[in-house]
Amino acid sequence: MRLKLTSLLTLLSAFVMQFAFAQEMTISGVITDGMDMPLPGANVMIKGTTTGTQTDFDGNYTLTAAVGDVLVFSYIGQKTEERTVGSQSVINVQLVEDAQALEEVVVVAYGAQKKESIVGSVAQIGSETIEQQQVTTVTQAIQGSVPGVNILTAGGVPGTNPTIRIRGISSINASADPLIIVDGAPYNGNLNSISQDQIKSISVLKDASSTALYGSRGANGVILITTKGGRKNMAPELNLTTISGISNNAVDFHKTIGSEDFMKYAWEGLRNGYIAGGDDATTAAAAASANLISELGYNPYGVNQPVDVNGNIIDGASLIWDTDWKDALLRDYGSRTEHGLNVSGGSENTTYFASVNYLNQQGNVKTTRFERVTSRLRVDTDVNDWLKIGANLGFTTSNQNIPEQEGSSFNNAVQWFYSVPNIYPLYRRDANGELIYDGSGNLIYDYGNNSQPVNGNRPIFSGENGAGALYNYDFKFARYNTDLAGYAQIKFTDYLKFKTNLSYQAYLFDSYSYIDDEYGYAANVKGRVSQQRNLTTTMNAIQTLNFNKSFGLHNLNADLIYEAYQFKLDALSAQGVGFLPNVGALDGSTTPESVGGSVTRETLNSILGRVAYNYNDKYYVEGSYRRDGSSRFAEDVRFGDFFSVGGSWVLSREDFLMDVDFISFLKLKASYGELGNNRGIGYFPYLNVFETGWNQLGNTGVIQGGIADPNLTWEKTASLNYGVEYGLFNGRLSGSFEVYDKESVDLIFGKPLPPSTGNTSILTNIGALRNYGIEFSVNGTMIDTADFTWSAGLNFSMDNNEITELTQDFLIQGTKRWEVGRSLYDFYLQEWAGVDPEDGAPMWYKDILDPATGEPTGERETTKLYGEATRYYQDKLSLPDIIGGFNTGLSYKNWDMNALFNFSFGAYVYDATYQSLMGGFSTIADQAHADIADRWQQPGDVTDVPRLEANYQDLNASSTRFLFANDYVRLRSLNIGYTLNQELTETIGLSNVRFYFQGDNLFTWQSHDGIDPEQDLNGVTDSRSYQLRTMSVGINAKF
Amino acid sequence: MMNRIFKICAYGLASVLMLTSCTKEFLNEPQPTDSVTDVVVFSSREGAEALISGMMRVTRGQFEATDTGGLNSLFFARDVKGNDLIQASSWFRFDYAHDNREPFYRRVRFTWEFPYFMINQANTLINGVNASDLAQEDKDYLLAQGHALRAYYYFQLVMEFQHTYSYDPSLPAPPIYTELSLEGKPMTTVQEMYDLILSDLNTAKAMASDYRLDKSYVNINVINGMLANVHLVMENWAEAEAAANAAYEGFVLNADGYDDGFSDMANPEWIWAMPQTLDQSNYYWGAPHSFTDFNTLSYMATHVNRDFVNLFSDSDVRNIFVEGAVGGNEDNWFYYTTNKFVFAFDSDHPIMRTPEFMLVEAEAKARQGKEAEAHDLLFMVQSDRDPNAVRSANTGEDLIEEILVERRKELYAEIGVEWFDAKRLRRGITRTGNHRVSVDLAPDDKRFFLKVPQSEIDANDSIDDSVNANR
Repeated sequence: MRLKLTSLLTLLSAFVMQFAFAQEMTISGVITDGMDMPLPGANVMIKGTTTGTQTDFDGNYTLTAAVGDVLVFSYIGQKTEERTVGSQSVINVQLVEDAQALEEVVVVAYGAQKKESIVGSVAQIGSETIEQQQVTTVTQAIQGSVPGVNILTAGGVPGTNPTIRIRGISSINASADPLIIVDGAPYNGNLNSISQDQIKSISVLKDASSTALYGSRGANGVILITTKGGRKNMAPELNLTTISGISNNAVDFHKTIGSEDFMKYAWEGLRNGYIAGGDDATTAAAAASANLISELGYNPYGVNQPVDVNGNIIDGASLIWDTDWKDALLRDYGSRTEHGLNVSGGSENTTYFASVNYLNQQGNVKTTRFERVTSRLRVDTDVNDWLKIGANLGFTTSNQNIPEQEGSSFNNAVQWFYSVPNIYPLYRRDANGELIYDGSGNLIYDYGNNSQPVNGNRPIFSGENGAGALYNYDFKFARYNTDLAGYAQIKFTDYLKFKTNLSYQAYLFDSYSYIDDEYGYAANVKGRVSQQRNLTTTMNAIQTLNFNKSFGLHNLNADLIYEAYQFKLDALSAQGVGFLPNVGALDGSTTPESVGGSVTRETLNSILGRVAYNYNDKYYVEGSYRRDGSSRFAEDVRFGDFFSVGGSWVLSREDFLMDVDFISFLKLKASYGELGNNRGIGYFPYLNVFETGWNQLGNTGVIQGGIADPNLTWEKTASLNYGVEYGLFNGRLSGSFEVYDKESVDLIFGKPLPPSTGNTSILTNIGALRNYGIEFSVNGTMIDTADFTWSAGLNFSMDNNEITELTQDFLIQGTKRWEVGRSLYDFYLQEWAGVDPEDGAPMWYKDILDPATGEPTGERETTKLYGEATRYYQDKLSLPDIIGGFNTGLSYKNWDMNALFNFSFGAYVYDATYQSLMGGFSTIADQAHADIADRWQQPGDVTDVPRLEANYQDLNASSTRFLFANDYVRLRSLNIGYTLNQELTETIGLSNVRFYFQGDNLFTWQSHDGIDPEQDLNGVTDSRSYQLRTMSVGINAKF
Repeated sequence: MMNRIFKICAYGLASVLMLTSCTKEFLNEPQPTDSVTDVVVFSSREGAEALISGMMRVTRGQFEATDTGGLNSLFFARDVKGNDLIQASSWFRFDYAHDNREPFYRRVRFTWEFPYFMINQANTLINGVNASDLAQEDKDYLLAQGHALRAYYYFQLVMEFQHTYSYDPSLPAPPIYTELSLEGKPMTTVQEMYDLILSDLNTAKAMASDYRLDKSYVNINVINGMLANVHLVMENWAEAEAAANAAYEGFVLNADGYDDGFSDMANPEWIWAMPQTLDQSNYYWGAPHSFTDFNTLSYMATHVNRDFVNLFSDSDVRNIFVEGAVGGNEDNWFYYTTNKFVFAFDSDHPIMRTPEFMLVEAEAKARQGKEAEAHDLLFMVQSDRDPNAVRSANTGEDLIEEILVERRKELYAEIGVEWFDAKRLRRGITRTGNHRVSVDLAPDDKRFFLKVPQSEIDANDSIDDSVNANR
């Protein structure tokens, strides 16, 4: 009613005005949307000029124009309309929603496409998903959000980059990592150099069609990271985020025993050892009591023979110390602080984005720290109507202090508290157990190699102290990353563009280690400093010619691209010994120990093209081709041809589905392609060479390196993908279902050679692997009102891995055996048969052999000789059956909450940490698990833990005893926020203020306790520190 | 407008063409900088010498782990199997307990892979030099070292993976390779191994001279030393006698240097050694030094049997044992240690010393009934070490026994001498005194040799699991 009146009035006034101006006239009108609601702030421009205006709150506009002018009416999300000024002075326009404009644009290989037009398999997560997590390396944000991507963050060192596997594992020896592209260029720095608030989107390209343009490097999938930019005609916006929190371990550790239990069990192990050596029980018990302290080297009780002949602590003896190594080595809580500030905006022609971010995060092992400053500046500008240029500059510096917390070096903190019992003191003690002080009255870390009869020589990790190592050694990594990209785009016509793009990255990695001159493993050379400086530079140049034109209902888009890539690694290292106390620079070294340096180059030259065609946005076909030449292969075999074809059919645009109301979108798609892989095999894998550096005194020395295949060439992966994308109930429910099947052939494979040939393997193209599986995702908006919204999403994938060709019948790889038809991750182990109740000996199964043929009869029996035990397939894989994520978002008025879970089921883990803790005192001074209490003690005991016995090497021999199901569900991220009322915000001069709580890894449910469920893909633990549980509060303000 | 498009198109096309023509050069440009090709190695005497230097460096390398680093680890594992040393619960403890011979164990893997690694390098050297255009004089010099090293490592293999030669030379022995092979070869026999070893050593001897770069390389003395020990095992006494005598030609005994810490190959007694410098060290992998020295930070894990200590007279320069370095009394296994070896990152390791071959010569003479000459040699060593030594009056087995004891007293913890003698003479090892783990080996006990590693069985089509049946 109101509208009608307004129209009438304007019509009337226009009629009156007509008399006043013949040429120039005032035009007015109302702009409304498809629902007849007025659109405030819509643009009205006179075409070809800068004259224009905006509608008021009721959608009204007025402007002066001449007859014949063309008015352009536009509003975000609506189709732009044009009207020519004629005689009428009132022009009311109804803008209709532009479905395509609203639709998501997805970053794809060498460009961007509308989501609808993609024929391959691409998933994109935007900044809104990333912002709800706190990730130190941005790729962690993919976990649980994209089906078919397996992300493993092993260990709790802040700044550690996760292992990423897209759609299974398609290589054995070569790299199975996806290619990472940042703003169009391959990224050779450390990914932890990019802070999360600089990321606009992350695209995961999974199938051949989407990755084919990366040809030789696309077989493992591609991750495209796009940094933020500004928007045109946008008022400058200042965005400030600060978040601070604390973290501890995401899961609990294995339970170990205290000193008293340790002494008793060690006595028992020793006694049983003597019995096994032929002593009778009484003699053995007496000998164990007499020798216990000398075997252990230390006496935490300070009294002679603290354990009596019955294995009890003698009366009156009390512990002088009971070292809690975890407490000495780990933080109760580490802190995490991050501040981010960015400014973005844009004029009519130029947009900009500038950002700085500071992060300081501590790990759970004491002194572990990661500190980073990142900055980025991006400017894009339209120079004129045919030239557009832009530049993107990023600079990051980071410092990391990482004491060892993975692997088997003595000073690995995690290994330390799982290996060294509480009976060994943190600080030096004299033979009576009294603390010793240095000249300044300070306590001295006990390195377990003191010249005194008792409390002098620690049999385990002698010469080291796990806690002392944290403070007496330094392991620092400094990184400086500069990336610079510039482009110029020339628009010849509306349909033909040329773009030249040059990126340069310089990444300096400086690793520095200092080993103390007085304590620890370099004390006898008066300390050691090792320093390594690697400068990695990457140049990438891309020239693109793009043709994009519609012929009626036929739409054609074609690219022709030329790319040159150059990589250079310039490494320099030096090491010296002989330092004065507190001198830690190489200048202070008296004897240089070693110097090294090399320059490694790699080049890749490629020509590529893509043609995409669609008819009426309904039928899509796309083909890509790339030819790569790589310096990693010999001249004759270095070129590879890669291609893909794909198509899709948007059924929902067909007449027969137009009337089906509940289907808003339905698309079928399929693609096939063949891609390559040349990464992770070294830079000159085809050359038979002699390695330098094996000098003998003053004489140059070389050693024949591994044997190589001169014709080594690309691995190839053929990849097939089918999928359905759907949107139901007006888009309230949407998702996809995809099936993939990839076969990788000519694997670059280290074919094992018998060690007697003097070589253990030869790298050659042989063997094949198949990865296949399904991916499913569904996202729904259950409630969507002004005050209350609730949405949720679920995604999962089921991935299978199968060896389809091998050079030999089978191949043993640690705890796995590879054979055709099996997975790379199929455990093949001795099978645990329990403990013999008669003598407490461990038992395993072995095949009964036919005496005539020597072949297994199919029957089996138990054996106490580990060497005789047969290895069997367990039909248990270290790969999960199903992985995925679940997320839900709620908002009510000013409150919002987002939760993201990720889960994994069906995988098994070989817990080598637990294994070493169950050594049963075979090595007398090794720490033990609390489960050792269940040991066999006397005939008739039915238990799963064998007797304790010194020097019984097989007590905890590798078997299925240490293989555990490793299912888990983790609350990866929980974000709860409150946004201040707009009026309140504006009174303090801000445009938006949000307070929030952010929790990471708050909760983990796991089927096997004691380890972090995220371990290596091969499912074997390696004394790693645990992932962090972080709780933070933050504030985000926009000006 | 169109004009501009054409211009730019032409420019674009030209640049693409230009870039394409550069492709070949662009892709050929990267070349490795941390390695050299066989052309470099075999085109000069110095090039081939570099390969020998590399091999000598690996001899004391860091092959797999602290107890499996190089030739010294192989010897030290033999040392702790005897009666004279006592190993604490540290590296080598399973060797000490005679419990380290199963197909999956690191000891087994290393003892197989390390010699074969060196053999493959030697094969590359021999075949590369033979095919080269080097002068005959240079070829001889290089080939002598190649053949000697190949023989030396086959000798270690046959000692470690089968009964001794005199037990039964027809028993299966490890495979033989004389050139690069990508296929596994079948097991051979002990006899075939010794045939190759002797043939290689005799070839080497014919080509060698006393010249060498330094004491860590192989010359005629070293080749004779190798021959002496091989003949000792084969019980070719006359040949052993001659070779042993030739081995120490030009070298002298040096009692003064005995307590210098066995860390400097300049010692005039030393015939062959593994030198180290701070920048060319195997660090803590340097057994025996890193295990027996209780004065410097290292493992401090090897102790000496009381009964062995008691064999030394007070006036013996070799009596440098320490009582109670870590406390206890003489009944405790950890009571005695030795100052024989001084550990440092630049401690050299001995492989062959003069007294070893004097005593080989003495034994070989005694075996041939030349007892007076044997007495002379034995006394030469004994009197050098101990001014109060008395010339032996023993004859027959007693004399042999005295020589063998002298070998242990002289060479303990260096080259596995006690194990070597017990094995070749099929005597067994009986532990006495204050041992930590008392396990005895009967004569010809299977624990004198190792099983074939599973990694070999798994990858070699010509060897299957049955190779370890009854082993």
